[in-house]
Amino acid sequence: MKTLDWLKRKSGLDIAAEEYRYGEDPVLGYTASRKHADGWVNSTCGYCSVGCGMQLGVRDGRVVSVRGNPDHPVNQGKLCPKGLAEHYAIEAENRARYPLLRKQGELVRVRWDEAISALVERLRAVQTKYGGESVGVISTGQLVTEEFYALGKLVQLGLGTRNYDGNTTLCMSTAVAGYKRSFGSDGPPGAYADLEQADVILLIGANVAENHPILCMRLEANHKKTLIVADPRVTKTAMMADVYLPVKPRSDLALVNAMIRVVMKEGLCDMAFVERHTTGFDELRASVEPYTLEHAATITGLAPELIRKTALLYGKARSAFIGWTMGVNHSTKGTETVNAINNLALITGNIGRAGAAPFSITGQCNAMGTRETGFSSSLPGYRKFECEEDRRELAGIWNVPVERIPAERGLAYPDIIEAAVAGRIRALWIIGTNPLVSFPNVDVLKQALGNLEFLVVQDGFHPTPTTELAHLVLPAAIWGEKEGTYTNSERRVSKVNAAVAPQGEARSDFEIFMAVAEKLGCGEELYPSWHGPADAFDEWRRVSAGRLCDYSGMSYTALEENGGIQWPFPEGADRHPAEPARLYGDGRFATEDGRAKLHATAWAPFPEQPNKEFPLILNTGRTVEHWHTRTKTGGIPILQRMSPRAWLEMNPQDAQGLGLSPHDRVEVVSARGRVSGVELRITEIVAPGQVFLPFHFAETNANQITQSAFDPISREPNYKQCAVRVERTPHAQRRNQ
Amino acid sequence: MELPLLERARSGDDAFPLVVAVDAGDGLMASLCGVGAGIALPAPPKEGEQYRFHFDMTKCIGCKCCVVACNEQNGNPAAIQWRRVGEIEGGVYPHAVRHYLSMGCNHCMEPTCLTGCPVDAYTKDGVTGIVRHSADACIGCQYCTWNCSYGVPQYNPERGVVGKCDMCYGRLAQGQLPACVNACPEGAFLIETVNTAEWRREYEVKANSPGMPPADDSLSTTRITLSPRLTPDVRKVDMNRLRPEHPHWPLVVMTVLTQLSVGAFAAIWLLELVSARAHRAAAIVALAVAMLALGASTLHLGRPIHAVRALKMWRRSWLSREVLLFTLFALAAQGYALALWLGLHGSRLLGGLTVLFGLCGVGASARLYVVPGRPAWRSPFTILEFVLTVALLGSAGANVLYGAPGPARAAMAAAAVSVFVCGAAKMIWLARSPMHERRGTFMLLMSDLSNLLALRAALLVAGLLLLVMASAGGSAVAVAMVALFAGGEFVGRYLFFVSVVPANMATEYLSAEAA
Repeated sequence: MKTLDWLKRKSGLDIAAEEYRYGEDPVLGYTASRKHADGWVNSTCGYCSVGCGMQLGVRDGRVVSVRGNPDHPVNQGKLCPKGLAEHYAIEAENRARYPLLRKQGELVRVRWDEAISALVERLRAVQTKYGGESVGVISTGQLVTEEFYALGKLVQLGLGTRNYDGNTTLCMSTAVAGYKRSFGSDGPPGAYADLEQADVILLIGANVAENHPILCMRLEANHKKTLIVADPRVTKTAMMADVYLPVKPRSDLALVNAMIRVVMKEGLCDMAFVERHTTGFDELRASVEPYTLEHAATITGLAPELIRKTALLYGKARSAFIGWTMGVNHSTKGTETVNAINNLALITGNIGRAGAAPFSITGQCNAMGTRETGFSSSLPGYRKFECEEDRRELAGIWNVPVERIPAERGLAYPDIIEAAVAGRIRALWIIGTNPLVSFPNVDVLKQALGNLEFLVVQDGFHPTPTTELAHLVLPAAIWGEKEGTYTNSERRVSKVNAAVAPQGEARSDFEIFMAVAEKLGCGEELYPSWHGPADAFDEWRRVSAGRLCDYSGMSYTALEENGGIQWPFPEGADRHPAEPARLYGDGRFATEDGRAKLHATAWAPFPEQPNKEFPLILNTGRTVEHWHTRTKTGGIPILQRMSPRAWLEMNPQDAQGLGLSPHDRVEVVSARGRVSGVELRITEIVAPGQVFLPFHFAETNANQITQSAFDPISREPNYKQCAVRVERTPHAQRRNQ
Repeated sequence: MELPLLERARSGDDAFPLVVAVDAGDGLMASLCGVGAGIALPAPPKEGEQYRFHFDMTKCIGCKCCVVACNEQNGNPAAIQWRRVGEIEGGVYPHAVRHYLSMGCNHCMEPTCLTGCPVDAYTKDGVTGIVRHSADACIGCQYCTWNCSYGVPQYNPERGVVGKCDMCYGRLAQGQLPACVNACPEGAFLIETVNTAEWRREYEVKANSPGMPPADDSLSTTRITLSPRLTPDVRKVDMNRLRPEHPHWPLVVMTVLTQLSVGAFAAIWLLELVSARAHRAAAIVALAVAMLALGASTLHLGRPIHAVRALKMWRRSWLSREVLLFTLFALAAQGYALALWLGLHGSRLLGGLTVLFGLCGVGASARLYVVPGRPAWRSPFTILEFVLTVALLGSAGANVLYGAPGPARAAMAAAAVSVFVCGAAKMIWLARSPMHERRGTFMLLMSDLSNLLALRAALLVAGLLLLVMASAGGSAVAVAMVALFAGGEFVGRYLFFVSVVPANMATEYLSAEAA
């Protein structure tokens, strides 16, 4: 029969017409019939934190298509290319489908009960031998909020270790730290609607066209805006700008301080706001005094007049919006830069109003959820470890002795790794992240993981470079297979739903945490009468009540009906759930005195300056087709087809000096290592002296050359700048290969 | 079931409303990839109008939503993209300029895919002007993929047929927006109606863009709003990406062998005329070569079983003409061979017909490669090369039959020298061309393909040397010369196919194929 089919196909009798048939579908319209679904499940996209509403089309137990939810307020039916192809992730070949335990050096398939027992016994054994805090947990921004909430309790109260952090420290901890310092609490204060309402939008180190394309809809819809983009690279976003500021790498802090100085000198401060709602104005004024236009011009490489013009545009705007992402955060001066941005917004009163916000555009789909509930860098509900009242309140809700709530946070992610190198951390539980590709200066990480007595990796995908090193691999359900909520950048809590059962024997992270708690013997204490995520959500609503991130007025039904609801949404809120919400509209901040704090900041050059041996500055970043370390997008044929591998951008001047041609294969070498065989792109979109490498690709991992330098406050790595040299890959002079 | 759109419109079939009212809130209007909120379909084109795409470069951010949406809409595998996004770049940092081109089919007013198609698989829709392709009619010859200078039609090896963007004809007919239009978060596309007479006057300004082949090739109807930031040096980013094309082995075999066979029959016929000798065995060999060549050609088709359909469009398509003329050639050659064997009267006439059809077939065969989508083929060199192959291999064959030094040897020498001179002249022409595709062909021949180019030249020179040195020689030497020259022509034809750099719209910097 097979031979007959083959013959029919080869002879041309059969052109697979049935598979390529079209038909009218009540939801999709006229489309390829193979995309037609029997039913649709509403959910929220599981990639970035824009938080687009989606609908998953299910037929015969498979997700056959996805579409943007036309009624969702965030995306109005649009999706980026990753979202449009997200259903392919569910059945990707590289999904983790069975628990695997390393026996005699090999990962072998085991039953779930054996896997959970192994996890609990081995972690407990390490703790017995080396102490409770010898176990570390590194999680992610990819789980649902209910899972983060459950995990936090499990780690801190069940396992009894404070050494718990998320990969969110690799992207958002700087914004968190900056917000806490300025406003007394985490929480981006604006709303996406601000992008449509602002007169001036300043994007600093934020390539939204590449990384948050659906937000560009808002920019496009705002016809009156002046868009200013500060980025050392002429990004897709820079091409959208009315004013492009080609700043030198990591000079943003000097730029913002110079802008503050101009705004002050020109009398453009909103003094009424400053006097009523802030402290530290005089110290701020003194601190920006050195940032004259000339001084800032030297640091930033911008013309003094351009800096002044930018400051005047911002200062004179009725409503001004500042958006930033990794260009600011991935820096040893990140937190201070965030504070400087907040300073600029505060002194001009650009906060808490329509169109006016200092807005951190978040990375992962639920980085916000882990920040709210996580129990890693703060106690759930943005409570503070060091605040006794906060600890008492929590202990009261949970009905546990207050002593069980830690009074100090444990180690941050980079410090957990350092502790593992030093032998203080002996076992690690890594959840939903792939540090072998995402952690800076990966050799240090390899050393750390090599020191461990036990490494558990819980992930939706296997093999990944990290699961390959694990002693135990726990297969987790992913987006489309589980229920819960995500919070997006504008604090909108949206519902996430399961459309299909998990692949193979994979289980939701929630179920895994429940099973671990059960095995630890603390199931009933941590999760009293919990059956599913809805129970966790209910408890979290109570925990969040009265906090800035107040969920108490929300319900799963209300979230579904409104396309998500922005917090704060307390019980009995007088706001309609669909209305955009902003923080600090009343000028009352989450600090003790209710006033925002203006922080003096000081620019400093990035830690590893180019030198004779390594004359170029390496910048890293993303491309629209891929997500993080490509565990999720690398197995999706259309995305992989559009962006098959890494490339290195280099200015023609540098390429000429090195005798390199387009498409040459090159080595990028730093003091720490090398990336081999990258395809060279010679282009004017990067400045002379700089090169750019996307970080998604394990095969050409940018983190083999990035450095171990971290923000002293947020502990976020300085991924964005380090010194490298580029040389031709030996024996690979052939183009195109 | 499928009524032409025009008839459906006129018959008032409600499947195609004459006045399309788009209601974004209507469930029917919702699409796979979102709804076109605020984007309306224009009314169906009136007499002298057609639908077209409008692409606004200033709005496109290169997110490629349209590419994924198109593949989802049409259920295509990742390797096939009916809509593609290319990148163009220019300027000097920090005043660098980068823009994107998102292109499906341009639904040209003079579609070269359509005029070349041997089976009439393409139609230009009477109402909408959409260039549609019928997978059922298609035989997978892929000629359209060479004819289109935008690289729009793409061959699907899974199906054995070509496919292309039809502006989501089926959706338009239901009052739904095309998938790409729906998916674009920036509203960079619109469907518009255009007056075709006006467009003939305007297209040069409004359809051309850096990174796009000239709109003259086929009168593209896509209106492109250019960015005011474009600098004169803005060009494709994939300009330096040169890689050998598919060799099309059946066509290498088919073209060289048909030319060998035609040359051989010409030799046999001329010898019959001159010396009145009937080279019967040679005629059988030449016929066998011809049959082998024609058999091989069907292997190039995605649907060989429907090869005979290729005769259909002989009034319009050079491919149809080639097939027709070679079919007549084969029939005449059979008659001629039979006549020679049986010693029938009229063999000379049949021989003459064989040669006539054969030479016309070779002419059509060569002419069909003169296409907009393959600039290095689009020149008289292609015709000359094919004809010279006939002359070289025919005279070499005659030399085998003739035995002694004489006119056959002289002809062979002249042909071999001509082949060499023609090849050298073509290289110079390619190297000096203002078209980057032609220079690309030259660069490919001088780099990746340089060994094969040297081999091709060496075989030709070796044949010539043998010709000069072995002044007497037996039949073994004569056969050796045929082998050397035929070998040279095979390598040359292989290079012809692999060295061509297709015209195309700008694409991405990295190519997936080279991964």
